[in-house]
Amino acid sequence: MEQPRSDEDQQLVARTQEGDVGAFDQLVVKYTPRLYGLVYNMTSNHEDTNDLLQDVFSKAYKSIRGFRGKSSFYTWIHSIAVNMTLNFLKKRGRRFNLSLDDVDASVHNDKEFLELTQTSSPVREADLSELQVRLNEAMMKLSDEHRAVVTMFHIQGMPHAEISKILRVSEGTVRSRLFYANRQLQNYLDEFRKNPVS
Amino acid sequence: MDNLDDNDIATLLRLKRHEQPPPGYFDSFLHEFHRRQRAELLREPVWRIALQRAQDYMLRLNVPALSSYPVAAAAILVCAAVLSLKVYQSPDAPALAMVAVQQSAAIAVSSPPRAAWSLSSSPISARDIGSMPVRASSDSTKTHRLAAPPRYVLDSTPVSYEPASFRF
Repeated sequence: MEQPRSDEDQQLVARTQEGDVGAFDQLVVKYTPRLYGLVYNMTSNHEDTNDLLQDVFSKAYKSIRGFRGKSSFYTWIHSIAVNMTLNFLKKRGRRFNLSLDDVDASVHNDKEFLELTQTSSPVREADLSELQVRLNEAMMKLSDEHRAVVTMFHIQGMPHAEISKILRVSEGTVRSRLFYANRQLQNYLDEFRKNPVS
Repeated sequence: MDNLDDNDIATLLRLKRHEQPPPGYFDSFLHEFHRRQRAELLREPVWRIALQRAQDYMLRLNVPALSSYPVAAAAILVCAAVLSLKVYQSPDAPALAMVAVQQSAAIAVSSPPRAAWSLSSSPISARDIGSMPVRASSDSTKTHRLAAPPRYVLDSTPVSYEPASFRF
């Protein structure tokens, strides 16, 4: 997933800081789909994601005067979203309901989806849709911090360096969390494939 | 049965990008954001809105340093320090002022007009009498009140609560 141009963001931020509300609206429109994916894959609940996202933009609007441009707006808004979501997940604890969005029809045109379903692979042996459900459940079994890293790296396609800036941890920590999370996901999914009823 | 490798996991996770919210969600998100902003603004206390407007005004004046929190806090602390110094350096000033006002009022009530003094045949200067400290009636009542409880309080209970026991 490509990062938006930061000079364009800087202009919009500067205009917002001067009181141009419309400029902030443009930032909201631009970043909503990207941040939705981030928060949704961390919470696995559409309603929670919607509320959190509204709060994220509200907080960003209130704090934007203090934004001095030391990092890009992209990093800054992602940091707010990740931190607010992690705080929310801590409060929510283990009490949650999955409220998953439908898989878009465009998945059938996805090159990777076609490869998965047409070529022989371990994934093909299992029912793909069932595997997706299991994948969501496995994701929710990860710790919040590990899920955040998996979401940003695998689903959002962010580089390690960007994730480390957003989470304010070293790149080594990001890589180690990813490694551990991948092992856990593999174990969950292999277990499902060996015992599909469980 | 082969185990899933890192690539399989990565591919499966990438497919999660296709999980999308209901159609039209992103279009209505901004309207919902504006609605919530307005509702939040109505819930905010007036002082916070005023503070916000003051900050905006400072920013428009292009004095961003003054609108920053540390400088604002420092300015408030300095003002508070100056005010408290003025107050605590002269703690009796308000009380003295009150006494002076009371005394001048008492003089105005009890002493005759200056025109009458000049008619006096006494060699003693009426000006001296006039300038002598005159106790205001309120001073004596205060003293009595401090020395003994008021008469109309019986056993620390207002008379009005025991009409039968009140005797003249």
